Amino acid sequence: MDPKILSKMAASMRVVSEVAPLYRIAFRGLSTTPACCKVQAGRYKITLQQNKPLTYEQAHPPYRIGVCKGWNSWNTSNLHEAPRACETTFEDSFIRKFIFGTWHGLFVSEVIIKRRHNMVILSGLVQRSVSARKMYFLIGYTEELLSRFLKCVVKMELQTVRDRKDVVFKYI
Amino acid sequence: METMPPRSTRMPIDQDWTSVWPTASTFKASVVPLPLRMGWDCKKGSTPPAKYANAELMKIPNFLHLTPVHIKKHCVAIKKFCTPWPKGLETEAALEKHFPIDISSSDFCYSSPSIREPLSRVVTLKVKVSSLQLDYHAKDKLLRLVDDRYNPKTDILTLVTDRCPTRKQNYDYAHYLLTAIYHESWKTEPWEHEKVESDMEQYFWDMSTSKRNIVNLLRSVDGKTPHQMGDELPDDADEYTSQPEVQEYAQAVSSLHNDGEDLHSVNSYKEAVKKSIGVIETIVIITSISINYVYRELVLLGTVIIIRSTFIITSYQTDLHY
Repeated sequence: MDPKILSKMAASMRVVSEVAPLYRIAFRGLSTTPACCKVQAGRYKITLQQNKPLTYEQAHPPYRIGVCKGWNSWNTSNLHEAPRACETTFEDSFIRKFIFGTWHGLFVSEVIIKRRHNMVILSGLVQRSVSARKMYFLIGYTEELLSRFLKCVVKMELQTVRDRKDVVFKYI
Repeated sequence: METMPPRSTRMPIDQDWTSVWPTASTFKASVVPLPLRMGWDCKKGSTPPAKYANAELMKIPNFLHLTPVHIKKHCVAIKKFCTPWPKGLETEAALEKHFPIDISSSDFCYSSPSIREPLSRVVTLKVKVSSLQLDYHAKDKLLRLVDDRYNPKTDILTLVTDRCPTRKQNYDYAHYLLTAIYHESWKTEPWEHEKVESDMEQYFWDMSTSKRNIVNLLRSVDGKTPHQMGDELPDDADEYTSQPEVQEYAQAVSSLHNDGEDLHSVNSYKEAVKKSIGVIETIVIITSISINYVYRELVLLGTVIIIRSTFIITSYQTDLHY
């Protein structure tokens, strides 16, 4: 190794091994700013180029749920003394993860889960980037596996969209 | 990927909608021929987004499977199972007369893989106590047995049974309970004769101290010594209690205790007391007699009235205390 580099390394190592003087210890610590209790759930940051596409659902923040946004999950678990509130919520998140993993980038909207008696009806907008035959397979596969998991009848009622750009509501 | 144009563009106006949309289903923009829009855009002058690629329309429940045409078809299919309403049960009164017992229970349907719900076993039985055949003692005993379950305003006895695991068992138990209460209320146990005045459900003048007091009062007015022996009435009590003024007094005191105090009952009490004691209303007319003479007369009359009024006040006090 080059002796110059070696000597520099030795010097730096010596600095590190020295104990810092007392006046330096007082200024040690993390540099922090005051806490900004900012709500950022469900909100998207604007871009400089104004080219980030948002769907209708993403464009409206969460306080618009019930006003100009609907719910994605419809069930009776939040009624007075209704059973299976936590199981239903857990199953919903499982379904969404399953569909996200199975339908690779095909869903262009959120999965809409409706529960009617012992049926689970999945809905959403899907883009036609794969052939109809493959789509039928995916529908059958999802329905079969999810009904085995959830012990309910699972049905998919999808609507197809030609392009991802068809669901864009605005660009930010 | 090219597809055919949507089905909604090729639909005849007089088509059978029940075949197109037979059951409850998510909204499909290509099938529903209506130009629906849903959503809100805060840009000025913009219209809500159209139905194509609109997830909002898919989220909400729709009733396209329950149009009037659908309902008509359902009714026609169900009609053959219907029977006419029984004759003789047209009015509410007839229903109450022939079917006095009212049974209610709940069914629940939730979005759940299981159909079991423990609350569906609860059975409520409602019956009007006036429709049961009870004499005074039986009714009093029934109301004591039943306590809170009786609503005096509507005269309805409510029995709620949930101790059995199935609805049928609870229904049978409710009927058994009603039968048991009814028969028990008609029986008189030997210990019921130990009922004391403080157990009485309403004020009975016949066994009250008020009766003893007025009998003693009237005896002292007649000059006999007051009867000192405890709770028993003197032997000649009946000749006093059979007087019509005393009967009126008894009625007035009973209504004060049982129906509460109001202007009418207090006034009737006052009239009854005055009649039974024998106070005469005196109206003094001042004529040309000298004032001294009148004053003396008035003083004499005044003392009598004063004596009589103190007399009455004590009797008012003693009676109201009991």
